[in-house]
Amino acid sequence: MQPQRNLQASLIYSTLSQLFCAIVFIASIWSQYAYAKNKVYYLTIKDHIFTPSTLAIPANVKVKIIIENKDNVAEEFDSFDLNREKVIFAGKKSTIYVGPLPAGTYEYFGEFHPNTARGKIIVVEETP
Amino acid sequence: MINKKTNTLLALIFTIVIAIFTSLAARADGMVVDKVYHPYVVANEQSFEWRLMSSQTSAENVLAQRIGYGQSLLEDLAVEFFIIGERDETGDFKLQATEIEARWMLTEQGQYWADWGVLFEFEKQRNSDRYEATTGLIFEKEFNKNSLTLNFFAIREWGNDIQNEWELEFRAQYRYRYLPELQPSIEFYTGEDFVGLGPGFMGVHRFEGQKQLKWEAGFITEVSHKGKNHTLRFAVEYEF
Repeated sequence: MQPQRNLQASLIYSTLSQLFCAIVFIASIWSQYAYAKNKVYYLTIKDHIFTPSTLAIPANVKVKIIIENKDNVAEEFDSFDLNREKVIFAGKKSTIYVGPLPAGTYEYFGEFHPNTARGKIIVVEETP
Repeated sequence: MINKKTNTLLALIFTIVIAIFTSLAARADGMVVDKVYHPYVVANEQSFEWRLMSSQTSAENVLAQRIGYGQSLLEDLAVEFFIIGERDETGDFKLQATEIEARWMLTEQGQYWADWGVLFEFEKQRNSDRYEATTGLIFEKEFNKNSLTLNFFAIREWGNDIQNEWELEFRAQYRYRYLPELQPSIEFYTGEDFVGLGPGFMGVHRFEGQKQLKWEAGFITEVSHKGKNHTLRFAVEYEF
């Protein structure tokens, strides 16, 4: 029975390998053409406070958020809601991409100054 | 970080390499169930990690543990050093090997349709002439509060005390990000004649600053063979 079992496992394995290859290939092509230029939004960190503290972005599209840290110490943008974690070095700008997201409120905070560095991203349905 | 064209080219090269390796499969020697890797690297981060894998069949009980120290060297590159202990055939638990691992985050999270990373590992057995090098692609795709993570690794084993061969491993995890502390998942592992499936979970608890404790566990059952073959995996990582 052993060779038959190994054959069964090999067939499953081979199918998965090919499936993975197909995913890689399709995703590679898709990533080139799937998205138009992302709309850009800006956040600033100054005195360990994010400004604006509430940022509205459209639902169901990917957006680019450029975060500028004007403090002289690093901050880490952290959000479980958005599934993002990124260090913003002192005096530098950094970019995060969020979405496409359904409408709702998504909270984030600065890991190094969680008492003051807090904010929300409000995802809103755009009316045509 | 790489640009869009290089990213695509790299992914296509990996596709071809993986397809070639598929035809070179040989018998697996090690424990396939380990950890599903995620492609992300956070700058300025250090970590201590402990992993445990306990595999039970009707014939044997295999136990492997590893302790590691990791550090991100760049915004998109992290390395980790491990010492690995395993229970040997006489039942003694011994230091078995050392390993260095590097994770390279290829794309900014969320920038493209999916996020990509690459893993490199080099392992040296302590008391025998056995070496193992691993490389492979890490893929993660978000669907609202769900994440699909795929790992595809090609492994080369060589040395005087082991048959020189290529091995292949595929790992998958479908995770629901329910709460930071509790993110249930389904995990899937294959490594030549092993096909395993089972539930898992992971979680994180944040302390102040970059300090956080991550944990993950899974209970994987071999599904392609008859007979008992279960693996419990558990990992704890303290990041600071």
